[in-house]
Amino acid sequence: MKYLPLIWSGIWRKPGRTILIFLQVAVAFVLFGVLQGLKTGIQHAVDAARADLLIVHGRQDFIFSGLPLGLLEQIRSVPGIKLVAPVELFGSYYQKPENGMLIVAVRPDRDWTDAFTFNVAPDQLAAFSRSRTAALVTEFAAKKYGWKIGDHIPLVSQVANKDRSMTWTFDIVGTFTDSDFTPGQYKILANYDYYDQARVSNTGTVNHFNVAVTDVNQAVAVADAIDRLSTNSSHETKTESIRELAQQQVQQIGDLDFLVHAVVSAVLAALLFGTATMMMQSVRERTPELAVLKTIGFTDRAVFFLILVEAVVVCIAAAACGLALSTLVFPFAAKIVTGLAMPPVTVATGLALAVALAAVSAAIPAVRAARLRVVTALAER
Amino acid sequence: MNFLRQFLALLRLNLEGERARLGSVLTIFVGVTCTVAVLVSMLAMGTGARQQAEGDVHDDEVMVQAQGAQGGFDSNISRDQMVTLRDLPGIDRDKDGEPRVAGIVFVPFEGHRRGTGRRVFFPLIGSSDVKFELRPPAHLTEGRLFRPGLHEIITTNACVRQFDGFGLGARREVRGVDWTVVGHYDQGQSLECVVLTDAETVMSLFNRNGFNRITVRLKAPSDFASFNRALEANPVLKLEAKPAREQVEADMKQFKGLLNFVSYFIGSIMAIGATFGAVNSLYSIVDARRRELATLRAIGFGSGAVVAATLAESILLALPGALLGAGLAWLLFHDMAVSPFGFSFRLDVTPRLAEIGIAWALVMGFIGGLLPAQRAARMPVTTALRAT
Repeated sequence: MKYLPLIWSGIWRKPGRTILIFLQVAVAFVLFGVLQGLKTGIQHAVDAARADLLIVHGRQDFIFSGLPLGLLEQIRSVPGIKLVAPVELFGSYYQKPENGMLIVAVRPDRDWTDAFTFNVAPDQLAAFSRSRTAALVTEFAAKKYGWKIGDHIPLVSQVANKDRSMTWTFDIVGTFTDSDFTPGQYKILANYDYYDQARVSNTGTVNHFNVAVTDVNQAVAVADAIDRLSTNSSHETKTESIRELAQQQVQQIGDLDFLVHAVVSAVLAALLFGTATMMMQSVRERTPELAVLKTIGFTDRAVFFLILVEAVVVCIAAAACGLALSTLVFPFAAKIVTGLAMPPVTVATGLALAVALAAVSAAIPAVRAARLRVVTALAER
Repeated sequence: MNFLRQFLALLRLNLEGERARLGSVLTIFVGVTCTVAVLVSMLAMGTGARQQAEGDVHDDEVMVQAQGAQGGFDSNISRDQMVTLRDLPGIDRDKDGEPRVAGIVFVPFEGHRRGTGRRVFFPLIGSSDVKFELRPPAHLTEGRLFRPGLHEIITTNACVRQFDGFGLGARREVRGVDWTVVGHYDQGQSLECVVLTDAETVMSLFNRNGFNRITVRLKAPSDFASFNRALEANPVLKLEAKPAREQVEADMKQFKGLLNFVSYFIGSIMAIGATFGAVNSLYSIVDARRRELATLRAIGFGSGAVVAATLAESILLALPGALLGAGLAWLLFHDMAVSPFGFSFRLDVTPRLAEIGIAWALVMGFIGGLLPAQRAARMPVTTALRAT
C-alpha cells in the first residue's frame, strides 16, 4: 500500500505519454468488447430460445410446406402435447413494395400465445380473438407507419382473395413484441380462418404448426412421434424446436469465430508493440531515478514490481474504460444483430488480457530495471 | 527554394536516424501493418462476394418477376402471362424463330455439408429452357443433361465439393420421389451450389401453376427500353423487368453494404488505436532529438521546414506498414474460399483495396504526425539546448 504514491507518480511522470497509451489500449478494448459482445450475444440468444416449442414443417422445403390443416387433429392426439397451433405465412407490403410486411395467420384459440414467442397485452389479446379481421402489429411497424388502434390498414399481397383483389384489409386492435431469436420487425398477426376462407387457392393448408410440449425433456420424443404420423405420405414433416433452429442459424454464420479471433489477435499484436516500446523508453529515461530508489534501500524485486504494477494499472484502467465504452456502441450494432451482451465472463477475459498485455510488455523493462547496477546508472548522469 | 532545401536536409537527417529508434519505428510499422491487413482482408469479402455474383451475368439478359414481389420466392407468374410475354418486342429469337425466354421455378432443397453434416437450404431450380443456365462460360463438365419428366438433375461442381451425396448417379429424395444426379456443370465464377432440372417436373411435383421468375434474352442490351415499355403498357402483365446486372446488384446491395459497414467500423477503430501509437512514438522520437532540433533551429532552419519534415517522416514511416499489410492480406487470403454467411465465395484482394489500405495508412501517418510536428517546431531553442 505504501508504494501507491510512488506508482502513481511513476504513471504520471509523463502525462502525455500515459494518456496516449491509455487511449490506445482503451480503443483496442472497445473493439474487443464489441466483437465479443456480438459473439456472446448470439450465444445467449440461442440458449434462451425455447426448447419446448416445436415447429412442424415440411421435411424438404422449410418455406413452402403447404401442410394440410387436417394434420392438426392428428398432432393433437400425440401424447405429451400441450398445445398445437396452425400458422400460415404470406408476404405483403404497405403502400410501397419496399415496405414489406409478413402476415402471420394464426387461430386465436384459448391460450394460443403459449405456442408462440409473442407478448401481447391481455385486453388486446381478447380484442384480437373477438373479430375476424382483427390484427396485431409489431410495435416497431406501428411506430414506423404511425398505425394506431382502430386503424384499417390495406396490405397488398401476392395472394388473391374472393373479391378478385390482392389487397387485404385488417383492423388493428393492438401491438405485440416478439422474443424469438431473430424477430422480424415487420410482422402482422391475423386470423387464420378469415384468411383461409377468403383466399382463392391453397385453402386448408398451413405453412407450419407450432407445438408446445408439456415436458421439455420429452421434446425430442414428441418431435419423433409427430414426424412418424406422416411418414411415407406426400407431406412428410420435420419437427424441430426453435432452439435447434436458432442453433442452425448460428452455424450458418460459422466462420464468425475465426473472424473475431483473427481481428482481436491483430489488434493485440499491434498494441503489444506500442506498450512495450513505451515502457522500455520510460524505464530508460528513469534510469537515474530508479538507481536512486535502489540507493535508498529498495530491493531489486521491489523495483521490478514497481514497473510491472505501473503497466498493469494503466492497462487495466484503460481496458475497463474501453469495455465500458463498447457497451455504448451496442445499440448501433443492434442494426446487424440484436441482443449484444457483456456478461461478466467477457469482462473477466478482457481484464485478464489487459494484465497479460501489461505483463508481457513490461517484462523486459522491469527485468532491466531490477538488474540495474546503481554505480553505473548513477554514473551515466 | 530555401524551404525545400531545408526540408530535404531535415528529412534525410530524420530518416538516417531511424535505425537508432527501432522500437518507436516498429510500433508505427506494426500498428499500421495490422490495421491495413485487417481492413483490406475484410473489404475483400465484400469485393469477392460481389465479383462472384456479377461475374456470370450476361448483359443482354433481363429478369422479370411479379410486381412488388420480394426476393422471387413470393413471385408468381402464370403460364398465360408467360405466353403473352413471349411476343414482346426486343426479344432475341433462335434459328427456328422461337423467342429466347425461360421460365424459372425454384423450391428450397436440402443439403448436408461435407464433414460437419450441417443442414443448408439452397434452391432447386426448374428451368423451361436449360440453354439459359448452361450458356457459356457455363458448361457441362461430366455426365449428360437431364431428360425432362424423368426426375433427373444436374448440379454445379460446387455442390459436389461442399455437400454430401451429389456424385454422378447419386439419388436424392424429394417429396417421396427419387431424383438421380446425371451430370455436373461449372457456372463460371460462382461457387454456389445450384441444382437444376426442368420446370414442368418441379411444378407438377410441388403443385405449382406458375413461374417465380422469367429470364429473357434480348437482341442487344440496348433493347431493354423498348421491351420494358411494351411490358409496362400491357395491362394483363402485372410484371416488372430489370436488366440482370441491375437485379443482381440490387440483391447484393444490402449484403455488401453490411459487410463494408462492418469492415470500415473495425478498420476505423484499429486505425484510431494505431494512430495513438504513432503519435506516442513520434513524440518520443521528437523528444529524443530535442538538442539536435534546437541546434538546427539555432543555425537558421525555419519552423515550417521542421513541421513539414516531421510530417513527411511520419507518413513515410506509415507507408511500408501499409504495403506489407496489403501484401499480407493478399498472401494469406486472396482467392481463399470462405462461407461466413452460409454461402461460399472467394476473397478478392484487388489493387483497388490495396489503394484504400495505403490511403488509410497515409491518413494515419498524417494525423499521427500533426501534434509531434508542432512540438518539434515550437521547441524553445534555449531550453532545448540546455536539456540533457
